[in-house]
Amino acid sequence: MVQPLAFWAADSDMAKTKADFDDLLLTESRAALQAALAAWPESLTLPQAQKLAAHATGLEPAAAPLRLAIVHTYTSDLLDPWLNLAASTAGLALQTYHAPYGLALQEAAPGSALVAHQPDITLLMLRREDLHPDLARPITGLAAERRDELRRACLARVQDVLGRFRAQPVGHLLLTLLPSPAAPTLGLYDAQAAGSEAVWWAALKADLAGWLREACPSSQFLDLDEVQQQVGRNAFFDRRYWYSARFPFSAAAAREFARRVVSLATVLKTPRAKVLVLDADNTLWGGIIGEDGPDGIALGPDYPGNAFVDFQRRILDFQQRGLILAMCSKNNPADVDQVLENHPHQVLRDSHFAARRVNWLPKADNLQSLAEELNLGLDSFIFVDDSDHECAAVRHRLPMVEVIQVPRRPTDVPTCLDAVARLEVLSLTAEDLAKTELYAQERRRREFSEHIGQPGEVATGDYLAQLQMRMQVSVNSRAHLVRLSQLSKKTNQFNLTTRRYDEQQMGAFIDSDDWLVADFSLADVFGDSGVVGLALWRLVSPERAELDTFLMSCRVIGREAESAFLHWQLRLLAERGVREAVADYLPTAKNELVRDFLPSQGFAAGPDGRFHRHLHQQPPRPASDFPIVVSTQAEPSTPTAPIAA
Amino acid sequence: MSLFDRLQETMAATLKVPAAKIAPDTRDEDLSAWDSLGQVNLMMALEQTFDLYIEVEDFERLKSVPAILDYLTQHGIS
Repeated sequence: MVQPLAFWAADSDMAKTKADFDDLLLTESRAALQAALAAWPESLTLPQAQKLAAHATGLEPAAAPLRLAIVHTYTSDLLDPWLNLAASTAGLALQTYHAPYGLALQEAAPGSALVAHQPDITLLMLRREDLHPDLARPITGLAAERRDELRRACLARVQDVLGRFRAQPVGHLLLTLLPSPAAPTLGLYDAQAAGSEAVWWAALKADLAGWLREACPSSQFLDLDEVQQQVGRNAFFDRRYWYSARFPFSAAAAREFARRVVSLATVLKTPRAKVLVLDADNTLWGGIIGEDGPDGIALGPDYPGNAFVDFQRRILDFQQRGLILAMCSKNNPADVDQVLENHPHQVLRDSHFAARRVNWLPKADNLQSLAEELNLGLDSFIFVDDSDHECAAVRHRLPMVEVIQVPRRPTDVPTCLDAVARLEVLSLTAEDLAKTELYAQERRRREFSEHIGQPGEVATGDYLAQLQMRMQVSVNSRAHLVRLSQLSKKTNQFNLTTRRYDEQQMGAFIDSDDWLVADFSLADVFGDSGVVGLALWRLVSPERAELDTFLMSCRVIGREAESAFLHWQLRLLAERGVREAVADYLPTAKNELVRDFLPSQGFAAGPDGRFHRHLHQQPPRPASDFPIVVSTQAEPSTPTAPIAA
Repeated sequence: MSLFDRLQETMAATLKVPAAKIAPDTRDEDLSAWDSLGQVNLMMALEQTFDLYIEVEDFERLKSVPAILDYLTQHGIS
C-alpha cells in the first residue's frame, strides 16, 4: 500500500530538533499548558519544574484544593517540586503535610497533626523492610514454609498500619512500597529460581491487593514497581541522593511518581469521565476516508497503519475501565460505516460505540446531542481529535469537555491517552465492565419502543408490560458497597440531594442500625442493568424516617422503576411502624429532572421547607400498581425485623 | 548571559527566592531556603542545568556562590 503523502509531515514543528522550553512558559491557559507538556519530548530539570509550577499557578485559579499528607520512612520533601508541578498543571491547589520521619503511627490518632491537616489523600511512602525486619536480608535461602509465614506476617503488618490510618479521617489512603535498588538476589537465574524474591514479592502484592479490594475501603496500592518499569531501574534510582540524603528518586522517577499521585487525586476531585468521544480520520486511522477511500487509509499490519491498530486496541482498554465509547466525525456516514463493517483491520466495530455522530455539523453541536442521547453531562466527556481547529472550537464552545489532541506523529498515537488522569479508575465493578453492553441494550430498547409506536418520553403501560421488568431490591448489601459509593459519587441528574459518600462512609451506613441502605437492579427482556438505584434512609426515631439520598442512574429512567423502588421502601418502613417519611430536594445545576419527583409521589411541602408523607393516613402504593415484579434479598447485617418480600 | 547570571537564575528558581537575593558572595547561611534540603535540590538543579555529574563528596563543598562558580569553571563551563 502506497501512502501518497505522509499526512503528518506537513507540520513544520516536526522539523524542530530541539524543543524550546520557553514556549511552555508562553502558554496562556491550563489546557494549553497541559497539551504542550503532553507533547514535550524531553525531561524537565528541577528549576524548569519550579518555573512551570509557578507559571501554571498564575494562569487560572485552581479548580479545587488538594490536601495531601505524607507518612514516610525515607525522604519525602524532595518530592515536593514534582508534586507541585503535577498538581498545578492539573489545576489543583496543593497543600502538603509531611509527617515526622519514620513510620509515624502516632499520626493515626485523633487530634494528630496529620488528622488536623484534614487530608484528601494520605500517601504512605514505605520501604519494603518496614513490613518486616527479616526483609533487610536475603530471603531466598529460607525454607518455603518460613517464606510463606513471612509473607503472612508482612500482610498482617500492612493490615495493621493501614487499619490504624483507615480508622481516622485521613482521606483516601495511598500505599507505596519502594522497590529495591538492587537487582534480583539470584541475578540472571532469579526468574526461574524456586526461592525467587521477585516471585515472593509478586505473591505478597497480590495478597495485599486482594485485601485492599475486599476489605479496606477508599484505599489504593500505588505500585512503584510499575513506575520503575516505566522509567527503568537505572534511571529510576539516583544512588548519590539515596546514600547521601535518603532520597531514592531521579528527577524522571520523582516526576512520574508525582504525576501518578496527582492523577489519583484528580479522579477523586474532579467530575468523573464517562464517555470517550473519538474522531475518526487521523485518529482511528491515518488519512481521510472520504478522500483516500477504504484501501487508502492507514490501518493494518504495516507502518503507519499498525500504530492506529494499536491505538484502537488501547481504546478497548479504556472501555474495560467503564468508559463508554462514542464517535464524532465529519464524514459521509456511508464511508465510515464501510470501514466499521468491512475493513479487515478495523478493531472498533459498530457494537463498540454507544452512539455515533457522523455528519457535517459543528462538533460542539454533535457533542451536545450525544450528551442528550446518552443522558450524561458534558463534563463527563473526553473528546479526542487530531485537528487544531476542532480541538480549539470545542474547547471554546464547551469548556467543560476535556479535549485531547491526537499527536501528529503516528508512533506517538497509541500512547496519547495513557497519561490522561480522568481516564484512571479507583475501582471496577461488574457494571463498569458491561457498560457499553448496557448502553447497547438501551439503544435496542429505544428502537423497540419506536417500533411499537412509542417515540416520546412517556412510555405507556403497554410498552412497559412488554419489557417484562424484574426488580431485585437489596438491603444493606456489603457486596454492593463499591458500586453504591460509586453511584453516590457520579449520579448528578436523578439525584434528590447529591450527597457524595466514599466507600468508608457507605460501609458505616450499611453497618448502622440507624440507617437503611436499599439498592436495586432492573432486568427486562433486553438484559440486566446491574445496580442502578440507591436510597439511604436515616431512622431518626421509631416513627420517623428521613430520606438522606435517593438516586438512580439515568439509564433506567422512564420505566416507573423509581416509583416502584420508592414505594417498596415506604411499605417496608410502614410495616416497621414508621408513621412519617421526610425527604428533601436540594437543587443543583444538574438535578432539575427530579424537582417535582417528591410531590409526584405524594409528598407534600411542609412549612419547614421539607417534604413529608404520612404513611398511615396515606398508605404507600401496592406493588401491583407497577409494571415491575419486585423481589428482595435478605438483609444480612441488620439484626432488626426480617423483611418479607 | 554570564555564568553568574545563569547560576543566579538556576538558584533563584530552585530555592524559590528572588534573583536579587543571590549575590556573587552569597553563602548557604545567608538564605533560609538554602538548608539541607535546599542543598540537595540545588545539586540536582546544577547537574541538570549544566549537564554535570557531581560527586557526593563535592555536595558539602558547594555551599557558596563563589565555590559553585569555581567548580563550574573547573568543569569547563563558562
